[in-house]
Amino acid sequence: MRSLRRYLVTVLIALFTLISFVAALQSYKQSASRAEALFDQDLQILASSLSQQYQAGSQQELGLALQVWQKDELVYRSALAPETSMSEIEGFSEHNFAGKRWRVFRQTPTDVLTVIVAQPLTQRQQLADEVITASIYPVVLSLPLQALLIWLVVSKALSPIKRFSAQLSSKKANDLSPVELDQVPAELDQMLKTTNQLFARLADAFEREKRFASDVAHELRTPLSVLQVNLHNASQQWQQSGIGDPEGSMLALQAGVERMSALIEQIMLLNRSNPEHFQARTEQLDLAGLCRQVVADWYPHIEKKQQQIELLGLEHLSLKGDAFALRLLVSNLIGNASKYTQANGSIQLELSIAQDKAVLVVQDNGPGIAPEEYNRVFDRFYRVGGDRHQSGTLGSGLGLAIVRDIVVLHQGQIHLGTPDFSSGLKVTVELPL
Amino acid sequence: MLINTVLMFLRELLPLCLLLATLLVWHRSVWRSFAMYFALPSVLMLSLISLKIVWISEQLDGLGLELLYSFLYLICFVLLCVAALKSKYELWSSAFAAACLFSISGSNLLLYIWLPTQGDNTPADLVLGSALGIGIGASITVLWYYLLTELKQWRSQSFALLLSVSGARQVMMASALLIQSDWLPAGPQLWQTGQLLPEQSELGFFLQALMGYEATPSLSQLLLYLLCFGLLFWCCSFMENKR
Repeated sequence: MRSLRRYLVTVLIALFTLISFVAALQSYKQSASRAEALFDQDLQILASSLSQQYQAGSQQELGLALQVWQKDELVYRSALAPETSMSEIEGFSEHNFAGKRWRVFRQTPTDVLTVIVAQPLTQRQQLADEVITASIYPVVLSLPLQALLIWLVVSKALSPIKRFSAQLSSKKANDLSPVELDQVPAELDQMLKTTNQLFARLADAFEREKRFASDVAHELRTPLSVLQVNLHNASQQWQQSGIGDPEGSMLALQAGVERMSALIEQIMLLNRSNPEHFQARTEQLDLAGLCRQVVADWYPHIEKKQQQIELLGLEHLSLKGDAFALRLLVSNLIGNASKYTQANGSIQLELSIAQDKAVLVVQDNGPGIAPEEYNRVFDRFYRVGGDRHQSGTLGSGLGLAIVRDIVVLHQGQIHLGTPDFSSGLKVTVELPL
Repeated sequence: MLINTVLMFLRELLPLCLLLATLLVWHRSVWRSFAMYFALPSVLMLSLISLKIVWISEQLDGLGLELLYSFLYLICFVLLCVAALKSKYELWSSAFAAACLFSISGSNLLLYIWLPTQGDNTPADLVLGSALGIGIGASITVLWYYLLTELKQWRSQSFALLLSVSGARQVMMASALLIQSDWLPAGPQLWQTGQLLPEQSELGFFLQALMGYEATPSLSQLLLYLLCFGLLFWCCSFMENKR
């Protein structure tokens, strides 16, 4: 269809016209058939009335009552007619006799002859009802058909909108490809073009953003590495030359460069894990095994701080997810727990299944976060207490933002809360199996 | 009577409406040119037949009109075949095929309206009856057009099938007139479905307009029908494959 309006107007008018005209024709045929039957009945009644004249004593029940008066003498009456005059009024009138209400017609063609014919009112109404009902039936019966056809036509007319809506709703978050529809009606054409233009602009913008963040981070990484090496060499040369670092400027510089390196690494990881950019490669994996590997990776750092780490709960937990993203998630949670927990502190990981979801709980007995900060810590570059974090630990404020992005990517949920320890933070991640 | 006028209009208009809707689906993108090619010969042929109808009727031992109608039905079928085979001529030949049918229906309707023996019809009967007939015909054209558009999108063979049925219907009508004029041997009657589906019923009317339904077909009619249906269907398939 080229235009929804033209299609709906022409088809609905055609349907209404066809059904109304066919119903009118049916009414006409039915009424004509009933009227034919009525006229035949009248003929029968007339014939029977007249035949009584020649059959003395016949008391056959007729629809009509008939009297013929000659001056004041009743010369003929039918079975239903009384012996007295049925009406004294010329023309049409209504009277009661023989236990019924009658429509009476009196005619006096000559001075001496009077003919009075009467018909029960109920019979007349019944006959009229039959004709009217016969004409109404087709119209009433056509209504459900009209309703059904209107439903079909409107559904058909709206099907391009339905297909458009279905295509939009079935799109994944990172699918910015244009919507393609066959035979787009004029009314939908501009909407489709505008939507596709919007998708194209959005795809360009995402691509630029993705490329920009990635390129900047990548370009910065190389000079930073060179800077780190040179700083290390300079520091060693200072020590060999016995200059030392009395004001700690070299150490501060090294810490700053280290923090910038970590920040750039996190920006690159954030970019990779962003649900709008990330092309997840879901596979069946063992979350418990993955947790063990990450603990092993972090173990030198944990051991250095003389912290205790335990992995409790299920020894195998199979779920569908992206191995790289989930590894990053667990690594960021353990890394955060280790970084912000004091030396000799405890970190606990627990894996379980609840309500068809894999549940990973990471808790520590570090300083924790105030409950009013729970929502803000997921914001990018947000650090509790700002850059002057009380732990003095280097951080970028991107770790939990990356974790949240990965959870969203896997259609899971993340909650912060108070741990089973006397202080610290409990992070609960729920992922669909 | 009103009903007679309605039935007369339906009998004459329905086949034309169905053929026009079918051809409009075919020439959807060039419908204006199609309308022009259809209108000019239609008016010309109708005027000629109407003006010379008495003379035509008196020719060939009084069989002139029947034979002219059979000729026009056959021309209609041939032009449909040409349209299906030669894409170069498809527009004008299909428009001319519809014009042939229009001139038959139009002259019959003019005869019905102006014939002095139509004493039963009051002017009100004629006006109301023709309005009902034209209204039903136009509605069926619109609905048939959209139905066929859907069918064509769903399966292009269905369009070829319905066009072939419509073409074979014209040959069926021609054969009925030729048998009536004793120009074609009838042969044995094959079946009788008049009780099951009377030709004068609403469905009978529609089927006759669509595919030339006959309650009592003869062998020659059936053979001719099948042959013409197969021929036009082959032409349509040939055209489809060529495209």
